[in-house]
Amino acid sequence: MENEGRRKFLGVCVAGATAAAAVAAGYPVFRYLAPKSGQGGAAKLVIPVGELKEGDAKFFEFAGSSAVLIKTKSGELVALSAVCTHLGCIVQWVKEKQQFLCPCHGGQFSTDGTVLGGPPPRPLAKIPLTVTEGNITIG
Amino acid sequence: MLKRLYRWLDLRIGVGEIVEKELTGYLLPRNINEWYSLGSVLLVIFALQVITGMLLMIYYVPDADKAFKSVTFIMNEVPYGWLIRLCHAVGSNMMVAVLILHMLSTLLMGSYKAPRELNWVTGFTLLALVQGISLTGYLAPWSQLSFWATTVATNSASAVPVVGPYLVEFLRGGKLVGPPTLGRFFALHAAVLPVVIAAVIGAHLFLLKRTGISAPPFGREGTANPFEAQQYHYQGHPGGIPFFPNYVLQDLTSISIYFAVFLAVVFFWPGMPFTPDAFVPADPFKTPAHIKPEWYFLANYQTLKIFPSELLGLSVQAAAMTFLALLPFIDRSPERHPLKRPVFLTLVIAGILLWIALSVWGHLS
Repeated sequence: MENEGRRKFLGVCVAGATAAAAVAAGYPVFRYLAPKSGQGGAAKLVIPVGELKEGDAKFFEFAGSSAVLIKTKSGELVALSAVCTHLGCIVQWVKEKQQFLCPCHGGQFSTDGTVLGGPPPRPLAKIPLTVTEGNITIG
Repeated sequence: MLKRLYRWLDLRIGVGEIVEKELTGYLLPRNINEWYSLGSVLLVIFALQVITGMLLMIYYVPDADKAFKSVTFIMNEVPYGWLIRLCHAVGSNMMVAVLILHMLSTLLMGSYKAPRELNWVTGFTLLALVQGISLTGYLAPWSQLSFWATTVATNSASAVPVVGPYLVEFLRGGKLVGPPTLGRFFALHAAVLPVVIAAVIGAHLFLLKRTGISAPPFGREGTANPFEAQQYHYQGHPGGIPFFPNYVLQDLTSISIYFAVFLAVVFFWPGMPFTPDAFVPADPFKTPAHIKPEWYFLANYQTLKIFPSELLGLSVQAAAMTFLALLPFIDRSPERHPLKRPVFLTLVIAGILLWIALSVWGHLS
């Protein structure tokens, strides 16, 4: 009986020590593999106004993801996430139609990101921008 | 829960039978000692080297322009990158050290003798392969130390008559150590050698299971049926102690002691695997002074320096290695107790002292 108790106690101690060792070894491995927070690149970007003609689009990396800046034919500037809301492909700018087309499954978006057709469930996310002294500040 | 899982598996694939045959029913000599657990320690070290190596490959770039930067990035930027890399670098040194201890215990207990000649030969092959994987991994960080140690090591092949210069060029992938050398060494280090080592370990364990474990020549009386070279028979140990749980506990004790030493080096002596040249990127136009190979190659390095001709130095080493590899076929007396073999014991001690002396000389010269 006494032996039984001792065995149980030792078993619990061994299990506890093993669990502690597993955590001590597993935590560094997890941290080593986990992407670092804030590793997404610049979250603010400045583009000169003259870099973009009317009806054109400029793709760039923004906060670790892809984004696009367009200047509509009416001269309005819009910054949007370039990641399709359907399955995450990068949309393409179709200049002739002045709209976005996702080449993966044919999703279509207007210049303000609204879904025009295809499977995307949501509009493209808008990114705030300001224009000062000939520079467009995105983000 | 565990018992139910065990029963579920047992009903389907007969786990109980395997446990009975390989663990609880696998009997070891009653006088078995702690030195026999070094094989298990080596298995753990190899597994750890494979795991840390895989983790390092996530961030390491095997490109001469980027390798050093990627290693610096692992050491300074990646969370716990320093820990993974140190475990890998210290682990490689420990693997050679424990392997040497394992072979010394086999040597002193005469376990290499018939019918275990092939166990010794596969073990000796593993020593050569581990030295090879350490050498090829040494170049990976593309530091001054890596670059020039590899230059010196690969250059010694030039002493081979006739084909020497071609051999060096073949090893390096060019006339000098350069980006092609890194490519081929990395492929050998991360893809070829680990697979070959795993296969030879498999063969080593297979042989161990077929011959049966040897009984130590001292301590309590052995339980083995003596070997008679007439027909194959498994050397069992009736009345011996079961592998599980008895000897597994010894294995775990030795593994714990190993970890204590290993982690003490990792945390309290992290500079052990490195010299200052390890922190300077490789520069093919600037040879650092006093470049030295790793500690386990120091004796070979010093031997090459002692002999007036490089060929002679290489031949002496090749002869010594061949003698050691074929030892079970040369030393055929059945006596295994070291104290009853005074000539053998004297030669072993002299050999160890010579190796230590050459290594120290190589380090200081």
